[in-house]
Amino acid sequence: MAVYIRGIGNISIQNTFLSTGIPQPVWYNEPYVRCIDPDFKFFLNPLDARRMSKLIKRAIITAKASISDSGIEMPDAIISGTGLGSIDDTEKFLTSMIENDEKFLQPTFFIQSTHNTISSQIAINLKCYGHNNTFVQGGISFECALSETMMLFADNKIKSALVGGYDEMTPAYFKLLDRIGFWKKEPFASQELSKSNTNGAMAGEGSVSVVLSDSKDQKTYAEIKALDLLYMPENITNSIFDFLQRNNLKSSDIDIVVAGMNGDNKGDSIYWKIFSELFSETSQAAFKHLSGEYFTSAGFGVWMTANIIRSKFLPSFVSLNNIIPGKYNNILLINHYRNKNYSLILLSAC
Amino acid sequence: MTERVLVTGLGIVSGIGNTLEETLNSLLNGRSGVGIVEYLKTNHTDIPCSEVKLSDSEMFSMLSIPETSPVTRTALMGIIATREALTKAGIIPDRSMKIGFVSATTVGGMEKSEQYYPDFLENDSRNDFIKVHDCGACTEVIADYFGGFSYVSTISTACSSSANAIALGSNLIRHGILDIVIAGGTECLTKFHLNGFNTLMILDRAHCRPFDASRAGLNLGEGAAYLVLESEESARIRKANVLCRVSGYGNACDSYHQTASSPDGKGATLAMTQALEMSGLKPDEIDYINAHGTGTINNDESEGAAIMNVFRDKIPPVSSTKAFTGHTTSAAGSVEAVISILALTENFLPPNLNFKSKIEKLSFEPVTVLKRNVKLKNVLSNSFGFGGNNTAIVFSAENFSKN
Amino acid sequence: MDDLVLELKTEIIKVLNLEGLKPDDIDNNAPLFGEGLGLDSIDALELIVLLEKNYGIKLEDPGKGREIFGSINIFAKYISENRKK
Repeated sequence: MAVYIRGIGNISIQNTFLSTGIPQPVWYNEPYVRCIDPDFKFFLNPLDARRMSKLIKRAIITAKASISDSGIEMPDAIISGTGLGSIDDTEKFLTSMIENDEKFLQPTFFIQSTHNTISSQIAINLKCYGHNNTFVQGGISFECALSETMMLFADNKIKSALVGGYDEMTPAYFKLLDRIGFWKKEPFASQELSKSNTNGAMAGEGSVSVVLSDSKDQKTYAEIKALDLLYMPENITNSIFDFLQRNNLKSSDIDIVVAGMNGDNKGDSIYWKIFSELFSETSQAAFKHLSGEYFTSAGFGVWMTANIIRSKFLPSFVSLNNIIPGKYNNILLINHYRNKNYSLILLSAC
Repeated sequence: MTERVLVTGLGIVSGIGNTLEETLNSLLNGRSGVGIVEYLKTNHTDIPCSEVKLSDSEMFSMLSIPETSPVTRTALMGIIATREALTKAGIIPDRSMKIGFVSATTVGGMEKSEQYYPDFLENDSRNDFIKVHDCGACTEVIADYFGGFSYVSTISTACSSSANAIALGSNLIRHGILDIVIAGGTECLTKFHLNGFNTLMILDRAHCRPFDASRAGLNLGEGAAYLVLESEESARIRKANVLCRVSGYGNACDSYHQTASSPDGKGATLAMTQALEMSGLKPDEIDYINAHGTGTINNDESEGAAIMNVFRDKIPPVSSTKAFTGHTTSAAGSVEAVISILALTENFLPPNLNFKSKIEKLSFEPVTVLKRNVKLKNVLSNSFGFGGNNTAIVFSAENFSKN
Repeated sequence: MDDLVLELKTEIIKVLNLEGLKPDDIDNNAPLFGEGLGLDSIDALELIVLLEKNYGIKLEDPGKGREIFGSINIFAKYISENRKK
């Protein structure tokens, strides 16, 4: 069963929303960055949007953009990944509960705080009665959503699906994670993030919606060939080798390897080790210096990889070495979150 | 691809018992867990809830975890129920096995975040709890207690979360990705949930009365429950004791409103229909429905309409067991899956407590008294979440020879 | 009463985040729910919180909100007759 990427919508800390393909990058020198948002009013009427946090607005807008990009009117399933759901509304309800001693609490913030409200509000907006699910597995939430979708395709339960990764980075949550050393304290430049060699990552946020289908057309981006999720793998190189073997590939069949390097030297050293053990002769690339690190940043990685395959072009600003890919047939996307959750996604030309 | 997913172990902790045996006992003796809150520190002491009758300290000590560890009550309950399920199935997770852990929760580490949030922002004394705030981290804390899991995933679809965890676990086995999956959910009571549901004005100040004409809302509960799901091949090799089979499940979206269910129960009807279709069963082959039955005006009427849509004039015995356990939110799907499987294996129909008079619009009344020695073959468990996340699962008796 | 009506409209616009709407846009006699302003049951719950917080009126039965929130005029009349602060 082939699964194709037919449409994508992406709001990120880059100018991705209105561009076709990968836009010229915006570079950052600070670890806390918010999305470059389109004018929400242009896409949502105020009455519909009255209860929506930024996260929900972004999700609905990218969902609709991916659908219109795909040419598929109604997906058979809506499956989302989100590490935190609308943390903004969660914080509003929580702080109000603490400050007002459990009095005068607003229902809207509670309703919007539930993680599944993203998938369900997209469904209500589209009037989609199909399979609807929400994965909240930290740094691989997006990949978990993708994984379930692949099984539904294989079961012939669906012919199309809207899969998304949605997270926002509020000032308070950034601060909390900063206190436990998640973010960069030393000066850095995002264009050199993979070489920063200091502790901590550059934070980000984003909303990526992808429409998948079992059929392709002229505009189709790429095929998602295979996906593996791994929890605390004992030897990641062996796991990758095994993954490639199951898909009848050798490491030399991989034209480009894309890693989720986020600038944190400890976590990034794992990618460098994988590169040296399996992909020293392969074209290497990264994406989190463009997206920043957040729970569902892999969605941005899929968007970028899909665009590389469709355009048959690897922009120099994502490339990590001087090897120019000879082909754009197979790209392996490797992502891990704090060395616990790993994902391997194989995308191919179609 | 194997088609058959077997259940080879169960573990549960809720307001009606800390073990499977205690749970069965309470169900057979009509003992509800709903009462005045003892462990949750809240101003809303007038709102009855069903608490697990263990303090955090008692749980830490039961599990030999130092009390200073960053482990939330939700994770503690999850570990207790998972441990029971693994023990019952005779499994010690190990890297040489293809074994995964799929858990569900809705507010993750909120129980500690709501206590320590000011500390999080101002001083460093509670920082250990920052990284266990998100839902996935909660699942990892449980998985890491045991070790050996090579696959971990977390689902959050409000009150149908753990039903979807069971469906995902079953899919992972059917697709040969894993041989064994521990699937379920865990959720402790939090001020966040209690106040949240309170703002929706759907909490009954009295004991909840699902499917009763006078119902006035739900009682919240807390709990954790997990199923050991296993491929036929793995169960055969291990000579596992097979309890039943997951024969079908359906997931559909009501797409009606963020908090209300549609009057015609469209999403629920679709979910039940799909579960039946996958199981290959006709509606009249379902012997018992464990309803979502929260006791809110809206849910019970909408769910009732959906049951009538699917089962027409042959409605099987229906009961909601939420008057026993309270509404355990994200854990409700697996708590009620365990109760449904107990009904199936122990041959009884759990009663729907506190029912007096029929809802006018519905054609049926729930089971009100315990019925024993009823031979059940197929049971259906409904779980519905806000936003219209509706899931139904069918469990079927399995005549499986150990040899 | 006119002051209360204006205050109420301003508060409703703020609490329900009715962006772009001005007090004058809300007809004093038009229904707030369904056809009129297009509000729903969650908005009704928000208005119940507003009643308690601003006017000390505690509503136990959400069904009663339907009557009280019939229109701005009905709402204002109910508040002026029942307010505790």
